[in-house]
Amino acid sequence: MDQRLDVSDLPAPEPLERALDALAALPAGDRLLLRHRRQPYPLYDLLGRMGYRWEVTGTEGDWRILIEPADADPSPAR
Amino acid sequence: MIATAGLSLEQAPPLNLPLRLFLTAPLFAIAAGVLLMLDADAVLATRWSPTALAATHLITVGFLGPVMIGALLQMLPVLGGVPLPVVRPVAISVHLLLGLGAGLLAAGFLGGGATALASGAMAAGLGFALFAIVMLVALGRACGGSANLHGFPLAGLALLITSGLGLLLTLALLGRVAVPRLLDWVQVHVAWGLFGWVGLLILTVSVQVVPLFHVTPAYPRWLTRALAPNLFLVLCALTTLPFLAPAVATLAGRVAQDALALGFALFALITLSLQVRRVRAQIDATLLHWWIAMGALLAAVLGWLLGTTTERIGVWLLIGVGVGLPSGMLLKIVPFLCWLHLQSHQIVLGKLRVRIPHMQRLLPNDPARVQVALHGAGLLLLSTGFVYPPAAHAGGALLALAALWLLGLLTLTTLRYRRALRALIDGAPATNPDTGSRQDAARADTVPWRGRGETPEDKCANDALSIASSTLPRQRESR
Repeated sequence: MDQRLDVSDLPAPEPLERALDALAALPAGDRLLLRHRRQPYPLYDLLGRMGYRWEVTGTEGDWRILIEPADADPSPAR
Repeated sequence: MIATAGLSLEQAPPLNLPLRLFLTAPLFAIAAGVLLMLDADAVLATRWSPTALAATHLITVGFLGPVMIGALLQMLPVLGGVPLPVVRPVAISVHLLLGLGAGLLAAGFLGGGATALASGAMAAGLGFALFAIVMLVALGRACGGSANLHGFPLAGLALLITSGLGLLLTLALLGRVAVPRLLDWVQVHVAWGLFGWVGLLILTVSVQVVPLFHVTPAYPRWLTRALAPNLFLVLCALTTLPFLAPAVATLAGRVAQDALALGFALFALITLSLQVRRVRAQIDATLLHWWIAMGALLAAVLGWLLGTTTERIGVWLLIGVGVGLPSGMLLKIVPFLCWLHLQSHQIVLGKLRVRIPHMQRLLPNDPARVQVALHGAGLLLLSTGFVYPPAAHAGGALLALAALWLLGLLTLTTLRYRRALRALIDGAPATNPDTGSRQDAARADTVPWRGRGETPEDKCANDALSIASSTLPRQRESR
């Protein structure tokens, strides 16, 4: 199941704080779908080092970042 | 799918490098405030008074310079992907040279003699020039980087020119070289320092941080692309004035300075209009500093157009913008860097069970608002001093208190960071030993806030960083 988190209206670094909190609470097998007004580049760096993979879609002002553990089975959107 | 590479926190320098610049800078602002408190009459009477010159250089060399350089140490590699070469020796040298330079320059202006003045100017000039060269070399290597960096080289060039002119003026004052129309060159030096190095850097950094920290719309594209280069060209034109006939130079100088004033007024108005349209109504300390600084900038521009004294304009620009805006940025940058480094340590140590404190807990907003109130009241009283001189002494005292408060807040933030880091190092293992699941990390312990004394946490964490970074699996984004 995809957990959704919209951080579009939060000032830096709250989007990072909220996203990392949400990932810590993510049940095994779930993914986090993050919605943000800008590309959270520092988060990507942290995610890479924490062992997550992510996919980015969207356009400027409305980005969707789908995050899941790197060792999870790749599967279509749930 | 969209590529997201190109920005790495691992390129950031060790936290102690920007922190050493940030934590000592307020000392010079305190000293400037004390000078204003003791001798406000001289400062308000003429900008050429020894006290005014000493206070000016304490602020520009001792406070403003280190804060801006400390921020760039972090911002260039993290936001721009531009790592600075030999960053540790450069940061330590610049820190020492600027501290020494500010102290000796102030002492020299206050009667310490030509040797103190010359040594101070030499130290400050070398410190600024060293950083400008390193910054320009790094930016030159990173041509075509991912971030919007085009304003940074212009600010770096302006810093180099300011430093060179400062050294030339010192040699002229000491009688080592003959510089005709010395006062004209002083104006050029001030213009490059204030509008080039400080102004262009504020402009360039604002474009990045105002939308980020205050959730505003982005600056208009024409402003981000055109304003800084055009202001730089105006400064180049201003530099030719000492070579022109005095009558022509006066007229051309007025036109150039009007253009600078209007350019920065435009920037202030657009910044304020973006902040009015911010998504969240929350007013934090940094935003209050922005409003005071932009108000002071607009007051200075209006004063310039109406022909007010340069002393008033100087107070509004140097204290309203030059002390206020960096103070506001420090209130954001220092807890942000501490949080970021804690996060990075947490990952490297694999201690995902340990919750690290959020930025608001590292530096709460209420005491930060007190700092803004002290600064704003100090600026107001100092400005009142132009019509009611006794108020200026109280203004100086409040400005010194505001800088002392700032120092206290930053020191407390650093101590909280060290306690949290210590707790992180001593904390629980990365995953639940029974299940190993990430879900268990959600029920993590919170970092305890009891101090455990000053132990070398940084060293422990750095050791862990170097060990773990060589063993952790690296995962990049899927493409």
